[in-house]
Amino acid sequence: MKLIVLGMNHRTAALDVRERLAVADPIPPLQKLCACEEIEEAVLLSTCNRVEVTALTRNPDAARLRLRSFFRRELGGEQAGLSERRLDELLYEYRDGEAMRHVLRVASALDSMVVGEPQILGQTKDAYRAAVECGASGPILDRLYQRAFATAKRVRTDTAIAEGPVSVARVAVALARQIFEDVSGKHALLIGAGEMAELALAALRDAGLASVAVANRTAERAAQLAVAFGATAHGLDELPRLLAESDVVVTSIGSPKPLLDVELLETAVRARRGRPIFVIDIGVPRNADPAIDRLDDVYRYDIDALASVASENAEERRREQARAEAIVAEEQQRFEGWFAALRAVPTIRDLRARVESIRTSELERALPRLLLDDAGREAVEALTHALVNKILHEPLSRLRREAEREEGMAYLEIARMLFGLDAPEARTGPDMPDVPSDMPDVPSDGDDTA
Amino acid sequence: MVVVLHQLTAAAYLAACLAAGVGLALGSPRATRAAVWLIAAGAVVHALAFSLLHTADPPPPLTDFASAMSFMAWIGVIAYLALLRRARVLGLAVLVAPMAFLGVFFGALRLPQATTATTLGSGSVPHAHVLLASAGLALLGLAGLAGALFLAEHRRLKHHRPLSRSPLPSLEALDRAGALALAVGFPLLTLGVITGALWVYAAHGSALTGSPHEIAALLAWGVYVILAFQRFAAHQGARRCAVSALLAFALLSAAVLGVELLA
Repeated sequence: MKLIVLGMNHRTAALDVRERLAVADPIPPLQKLCACEEIEEAVLLSTCNRVEVTALTRNPDAARLRLRSFFRRELGGEQAGLSERRLDELLYEYRDGEAMRHVLRVASALDSMVVGEPQILGQTKDAYRAAVECGASGPILDRLYQRAFATAKRVRTDTAIAEGPVSVARVAVALARQIFEDVSGKHALLIGAGEMAELALAALRDAGLASVAVANRTAERAAQLAVAFGATAHGLDELPRLLAESDVVVTSIGSPKPLLDVELLETAVRARRGRPIFVIDIGVPRNADPAIDRLDDVYRYDIDALASVASENAEERRREQARAEAIVAEEQQRFEGWFAALRAVPTIRDLRARVESIRTSELERALPRLLLDDAGREAVEALTHALVNKILHEPLSRLRREAEREEGMAYLEIARMLFGLDAPEARTGPDMPDVPSDMPDVPSDGDDTA
Repeated sequence: MVVVLHQLTAAAYLAACLAAGVGLALGSPRATRAAVWLIAAGAVVHALAFSLLHTADPPPPLTDFASAMSFMAWIGVIAYLALLRRARVLGLAVLVAPMAFLGVFFGALRLPQATTATTLGSGSVPHAHVLLASAGLALLGLAGLAGALFLAEHRRLKHHRPLSRSPLPSLEALDRAGALALAVGFPLLTLGVITGALWVYAAHGSALTGSPHEIAALLAWGVYVILAFQRFAAHQGARRCAVSALLAFALLSAAVLGVELLA
């Protein structure tokens, strides 16, 4: 049984391509995919940054072709005008160990556009849930995704990968939280307009701002922005009053001279009786005079200061990434051990069946001669069961352990040969049966997932 | 037994210091929360120690330096834990825990003498004075600690060096904690000064004897008046209030030590 991941992400495909292949409801395409004989189990993850399928197959080459065709036909590659060759260029493919590592890295947000972002774990859980709901995920992908979620949790808990905002807007929110006890209930003022200023304000509003006022040179533009933010619109002549009422000021207006000077802020602080004002100056040239830094209750951050904090945080995340990758490698090793041990399952099952058939036939021959009552028969039955289990326990455990290593295949082959398990009468089913319920008990160093 | 309980308390506060330090160094809110739980555990053991001390006949008045420091540390910790319900100042544990530890540690070193201290006067006035004055001074100390942390945070934010993972309280929360400590501590110390005067009057026939202890108490009250005026009447900014609270705390610590040395 092989694992394969095929997909595209923000590194291989542009947003306009990704958005055309993204699916809102993964269940219908997954059901179609799992109806194909090449695919045993599958999970479809579709987010704004990636569309990818993780599949389990007995025939990886056939599955690869099937998945490419799935991207073209079911996910809309053809309708998006992507030729077969173009689609091949956009898709990445991972198999076995690399595929396992990829799934763990994706869930842990190490493969995300913003490393450590929190949304991907929830999106991966949703994708997995959808696969479970439509029966596309089986015991092996179940196990892989549970391992991925545990890995993501470890990465978030044991490293600082998700700490420290890395966008200017998030930095503004984090700073506001270090100044104010509670951002919710605070009043904000947006002076001017601009994408970054609006993003910062939107992030602050998401953090719970009580109200927003917009001040602009032109009443029309102020009114437009006011509608977008559910705010009140004002002219710049109202600035002194607005500043006295605002806890957070986001400013981004074209002005040759600083609009917010010491006098204006000093008056506002006095009117506010010392309550602090957080000034986020995104304007270039700067809208707030750096001299206002001498006012005790004004905290001014210009675009350079914000970007510098964001880049320090990004650097910190990069440092943490190495630790997170080590956790992923460790968890991958655990899963690989468990996955490899599955190779022992057919041999173990055949061996058990062989010994059990010997036990029952010998018992059937012996019992009539022993002339036992019911209690005696039960005792003999139990005795033979116990003997079989005790004799098999050590060799079966050893087979499972050895199967986790590549060299362990030799043990399986020898066992099959010694016990004649490849004889037609000894075989009990296909090479790769369902994962037996006792597989989690396979001794595997550090395996902690039941 | 009292000494053993004090030593246990000191151990709990020391563990809280370490947890709060780890919380600050690693930016771990979990470690900071652990520090607060350790402080709370220490406060419970500390309370047991004082309960046992109170069963002595007659109960010591806790007026000697060691007992007073330990008692103020306990009231300060209780005030901090109570403050957590009104302001998000969990991270203040990073200063509260070391101060509590120092108070109890030095107290524990000298408690055997403290248990034999004699009681001046009788009745409930001495106990009320000790309780009220200790609470007032402990709350002033708490305001000073909040002020110290405020100044450190203020400086960091003004110099554009925010922590990416900060378990420390926000400036607004620290300012509010300082204001609350002042608002509660000032009336308590005022009552403490009044009951102290009554106690001295009962013992000496005069409300003022000019002892270093009296001078320190009046100095503390005067400092409180200035701080309260600055914050509640003059509406000074948060940074100025923090500076004043810290200076007041330093001044009173020096005065308390001075009284001890003179005694």
